[in-house]
Amino acid sequence: MAERAEERGAIPAPLPIRRGWRLSPPLRRLLTMPLRDPFAFAGIVIYLAFLLVALFADQLATTDPTEILFLSTGKVAANMPPGAEYPLGTTNLGRDIYAQLVHGTESALAVGLTAALIVALVGTVVGLIAGYFGGWIDALLMRIADMALSLPFLPFVIVLIGFLGPDTSNVVLAVVLLLWPNSARVIRAQVLSLRERAYVEAARVTGASPVRILFVHIAPNILPLSFVYAAIAIGWAIITEASVSFLGFGDPDNISWGMMLQDAFASQALSRGQYAWFVPPGVCIILIVVAGFFISRGYEEVFMPRLRR
Amino acid sequence: MKLVLERFLHNALALLAVITILFFMFRLMPGSPLAAFINDNLNEDQQQAMLAQFGLDKPMWQQYLIYLANLAHGEMGLSFFQRRPVTEILLEVLPNSLILTLSSLIVAYVFGVLAGAWLAWKRGSWIERAAVPVVLATRAAPEFWIGMVLLALLSFKLGWFPSGGASSPGEAYTSNWQRIFSLDYLHHLALPVITLALYLQGLPLLLMRSNMLEVMHEEFVTMARMKGLSEWRIVIGHAARNALLPVVTAFALGVGLSMGGNVVIETVFSWPGIGRMLVQAVSVHDYPLAQGAFLMIAAILAIMNFVADLLYMTLDPRVSHGRAG
Amino acid sequence: MMLSVEDLQIHYATRDGTVRAVDGATFAVPEGRIVGLVGESGCGKTTAVRAIMGVLAENGRRAGGQVRFKDQPIDAKATRPLLWREIAYVPQSAMSSLDPVYTVGAQIEEVLLKRGGASRAEAKARAAELFELVGLSDRRLRDYPHQFSGGMRQRAAIAMALALEPSLLLADEPVTALDVIVQRQILDMLRSLQQRLKLSMVMVTHDISVVAYLCDEVVVMYAGQVVESGPVREVLGRPRHPYTMGLRNAFPDLLSDAMELVPIHGSPPDLRQTLTGCRFAPRCPFVQPACTAGTLDADVANDHLTVCRRSAQADGLRTAALDPNTWLSSQSAMS
Repeated sequence: MAERAEERGAIPAPLPIRRGWRLSPPLRRLLTMPLRDPFAFAGIVIYLAFLLVALFADQLATTDPTEILFLSTGKVAANMPPGAEYPLGTTNLGRDIYAQLVHGTESALAVGLTAALIVALVGTVVGLIAGYFGGWIDALLMRIADMALSLPFLPFVIVLIGFLGPDTSNVVLAVVLLLWPNSARVIRAQVLSLRERAYVEAARVTGASPVRILFVHIAPNILPLSFVYAAIAIGWAIITEASVSFLGFGDPDNISWGMMLQDAFASQALSRGQYAWFVPPGVCIILIVVAGFFISRGYEEVFMPRLRR
Repeated sequence: MKLVLERFLHNALALLAVITILFFMFRLMPGSPLAAFINDNLNEDQQQAMLAQFGLDKPMWQQYLIYLANLAHGEMGLSFFQRRPVTEILLEVLPNSLILTLSSLIVAYVFGVLAGAWLAWKRGSWIERAAVPVVLATRAAPEFWIGMVLLALLSFKLGWFPSGGASSPGEAYTSNWQRIFSLDYLHHLALPVITLALYLQGLPLLLMRSNMLEVMHEEFVTMARMKGLSEWRIVIGHAARNALLPVVTAFALGVGLSMGGNVVIETVFSWPGIGRMLVQAVSVHDYPLAQGAFLMIAAILAIMNFVADLLYMTLDPRVSHGRAG
Repeated sequence: MMLSVEDLQIHYATRDGTVRAVDGATFAVPEGRIVGLVGESGCGKTTAVRAIMGVLAENGRRAGGQVRFKDQPIDAKATRPLLWREIAYVPQSAMSSLDPVYTVGAQIEEVLLKRGGASRAEAKARAAELFELVGLSDRRLRDYPHQFSGGMRQRAAIAMALALEPSLLLADEPVTALDVIVQRQILDMLRSLQQRLKLSMVMVTHDISVVAYLCDEVVVMYAGQVVESGPVREVLGRPRHPYTMGLRNAFPDLLSDAMELVPIHGSPPDLRQTLTGCRFAPRCPFVQPACTAGTLDADVANDHLTVCRRSAQADGLRTAALDPNTWLSSQSAMS
């Protein structure tokens, strides 16, 4: 195998490990990866697009998504088909679907990014600590991780929401509680291998404190992995929030895509064929989650390059 | 053998942890500490029975042990709203969930394995490059949304399939078996299975494709080429056989994971399964039923994790036949 | 000639350009002889052998030259009926060359059934016979590859290669991964098998002491080309190419103890570039300006072929090559 690769003259160099953060190749790769992977680039574009929509939601959709709209005749503008005034029509109760879709972006991104950030943080820290210190700390953390993984995902979220109340932060909490083990395990494995490298040994011997070693030497090489899992976690969190809202456990004060779908379902939009109501939210979810997949795939290539791609 | 025991213990302990977490969760609820098992909906006799059976007046640690003992007997209390044993209710709906899960997974995996292997063969072609993002999109769509779209199109608009439930009103059957294999049941099962299979096929497809691509570059495949064996024999007999190992394990894991995820599918199609039971129970605060449903799902997950471990151990000769040197 | 390779060229298309892994290699394997194909990693020896078996990677192709087996020209298509029946391969690592999910016996029987037209019973009997031939108990046919030790696995691989009674055996570093004692056993076994079964063999290796121990003839390759070839005693005893002289110094002798290891410094050239003149020139302690220009011709004397501008002065160079200082100064000349 090795000979074949050599004879092709194209041996991919093992990821060069550098000490510290400045201009570290892994970090540089972090930023330049999207430029080389068209799918990841598309993913980033999609994220940015949604981000802009969320930031300029009020400008893009001037109607209040919760406001019940009335026709000039005084009747509720219920179930209006898509038209000039209401690009996607109105709901059963006369609300502007387009406005809901646009404002739903805010909620989706809020949930997704918060969950992703916390999951990545917790997963990375746990992975770093478990991998570096080993021993009983490692055993304990991994046991807890196992417990988290043996809980059925959606049922747990439902039960938790059922008790703590339908607040979005509870959704984030549930997602974080159940998703951190995945990244923690992989990061821990990576730390275990990095720990044995010469430069870490050198740092240890010269008396660098564990904290310094962890955060200055090891962490920069772990970061791409954290990004991979963060990108996946965004999608997972958004789908979970949508599922929970769909089941009726959503935050009633929060206009989300899941809530739109639940509303549509409960209002018999399916039998009325109001595709403009229930198709767009799903498409939005697909776009964001797929963007997350593409980005995480891109980073996977950076961190674990395959010889034959 | 030792390995089997080790995996069994590992999964059993995980389940025990879940049971314990649940025990404490339900006792930390708003309301009296008895709220987990007693409710004004139950009549006096039933309330007394629950008090005695679960030792609700005893100290917490004793309650825990009694709780475990009861679970071992399959005793999970009385449903507040249906006023009958939780176990009974759950066992009624369990078959529906199992059938839904297994049928969907089988369809998804058979399709996924074949399509994944085919895509690996077509490596580099535009079909392969277009297919992967499309498959990723199927994994990115919420299951219930796929269900909604299919419901609207195939049921409401085209009328090909019923719009919900597991049976048409007015149908009567002499036994459960007869009901399950009746055309009516299958007709109702079709749309949920199609939806779920559409969502699930992504994993086996991508996994099989990825495994095949790796295996095809293994030295023993090159060796088979050098022996002059037919392409068919190489791809199916050697490459696919090796590539399938992780997929089989994934199937077993998928059963466990799917049972939990089916919650939403069962709601969209009003499919009378455990997931739907859980959702209903939680919304009306029927704590014993909610506990029971959650536990049953968790138990299936633990069992299937163990089955997955067993499969991996028996199917890979490197594990089943240890080093004899 | 059992096998004759003329001006073989194998190119790989890579992202960074075309790699000319084999760039004009010529050698031959007489009937019933063992020919050693020796050179460092990346010299093209494995590529050449795999090209003969018709199993190049997707981005590889035969860009020129001719391969003749029993005087018939063969290419990828023509090779197919010959595979394993006439030409067989012994891999470097039997562990990765055997399918981990089938027993070794099943894999041997597979080739007997599918390529040898044997019946089930015949295949079973023959498999047992083959194991006996290489000194393995037939009970081990029921074992999986991972259950064998390294040496036994190589024996099994050899048994499998001999299944259809081939005339030519291409062995790709079959003993490199083994410890020295087991190496010797396997080499002895190969020699005895070769004599009994009247096989012709190509023995690819980077270890010149293996060549000295086992082979009748040797072909030395460097950077995709043949730089020296001939009878083993001739080439190793009186090498006429500086590279061979350096190789000889770089390996401990299987038979003698006193040896000073003198490595050849530097590394082979990048095969993506167009190269002129002698490819070993950058690392050669005897380099002269004339060496880097033009194409070199082969100098043949008594079956001993050398491709070196200074082959006429080979005897003098050889004496100088025995002195470690010659190679050390070439190293400092390079840095």
